[in-house]
Amino acid sequence: MKKIQIILALMIGLFTTVNVQAQDDISPERKQAIDSLALEKVRDLSKYISIIGSKNTAWSEANRVIDRAEELFMQGAEMGVSTLAKPEVDYYKVRQYFERLMRLNYDRVEIEWFKIEYVSDLQRQPDGTYVGVITIFQKFKGYDKEGGLVYEDTTKKDITVYVKRKETQIGGRIIGFWDVLLGDMRVKETSK
Amino acid sequence: MQMTISMHQLRRLGLLFLVVLITLGGTTSCKSKKKLAREQAAAEYAAKIDRATKDLTAILNDETSWTLDEKETRLATIKSWNLQDENVLALIDQVDDKLSQDRADASRMAEEERLRAEEEARRAREAAKYGSIESQFMAIAGAPDVNAANERIARTISLFASPDVPVLIIISQAGGFNDYDRPTTIGKYLDYLKDQKVYSNTIEQVKYDSNGKITELELIKK
Repeated sequence: MKKIQIILALMIGLFTTVNVQAQDDISPERKQAIDSLALEKVRDLSKYISIIGSKNTAWSEANRVIDRAEELFMQGAEMGVSTLAKPEVDYYKVRQYFERLMRLNYDRVEIEWFKIEYVSDLQRQPDGTYVGVITIFQKFKGYDKEGGLVYEDTTKKDITVYVKRKETQIGGRIIGFWDVLLGDMRVKETSK
Repeated sequence: MQMTISMHQLRRLGLLFLVVLITLGGTTSCKSKKKLAREQAAAEYAAKIDRATKDLTAILNDETSWTLDEKETRLATIKSWNLQDENVLALIDQVDDKLSQDRADASRMAEEERLRAEEEARRAREAAKYGSIESQFMAIAGAPDVNAANERIARTISLFASPDVPVLIIISQAGGFNDYDRPTTIGKYLDYLKDQKVYSNTIEQVKYDSNGKITELELIKK
């Protein structure tokens, strides 16, 4: 009787291991789709930042876009802000960062992100979350009301991305989706 | 006396010889005809075996330009000859198997082709059906300014049951199930098109209510 119990326990253990392993394995095509999705979210953020920073954007539109941009981030995420004037980097909560961006003391602002790419590929963590780091370069230009360029810098920033498989019910059916959330955005270097 | 043969006797002997000759000659001629017929039949049989062997081998090795129907007709003809040649009978069995397999393959391919054509037609119908919605999305993404985009959003949103209609975006399809991006609503999605100024999906599925309003939209990444 004891032998049978041991064999059963081993079989259950084996089945559970195989099942968990099957869930862990995702095909290269699916992984590629998730990689692209995370990159796309960072590109979306890039566009939102340029809209929020633009002085041509109406206040109501900017606030709406801030809401959309905030939805891209994890709760409590922070954004690093640097300037050529001082070596320290200031960190702000996401909402605070966007509101400061909207109120920057320039007559016109141009913000452009480029070289958006992975520096650390998405890696599966024990809890099933995929974590990676995407680096971006931000070109910032601030102009006065005469149209003169009064400040410019280029900042390299690293954004941590978290991708987790979740489920929700829509129209009576279960939908499995990949939830991409951005974490802290750390300043790596700032130059003219 | 005995040595003397009269003319009369000579004539009778000649007549007898003629009768024997005719009789013997007739028999020989009859035997030759039967033999000839047998030889002819044997030759015909051999020719059929040869023809059947060649045709069956050609069918087996796919060396003919015949259609499947023509091959089957040929096999039926060869079977009707009732050739009792071991090699031919073995070839008939093999060709029977091969043609059954070919027929099954042809049916499968025809079915696949039918399904492919059906799917293509369905996609074409849906592309035409969803064409107007796709155009609206592209118009929002391509709007010259925020006001123009907002006007187009107001027009487009009227196609939907509410601004909260769910929008699902498929990011990959594999093994019979879909991977989605985080679900959103049509209100947010149209704003997204306005902000990002790009529409990079296509419509996969649309659900309508009884008023003809859209109640669910499923997109797929291009």
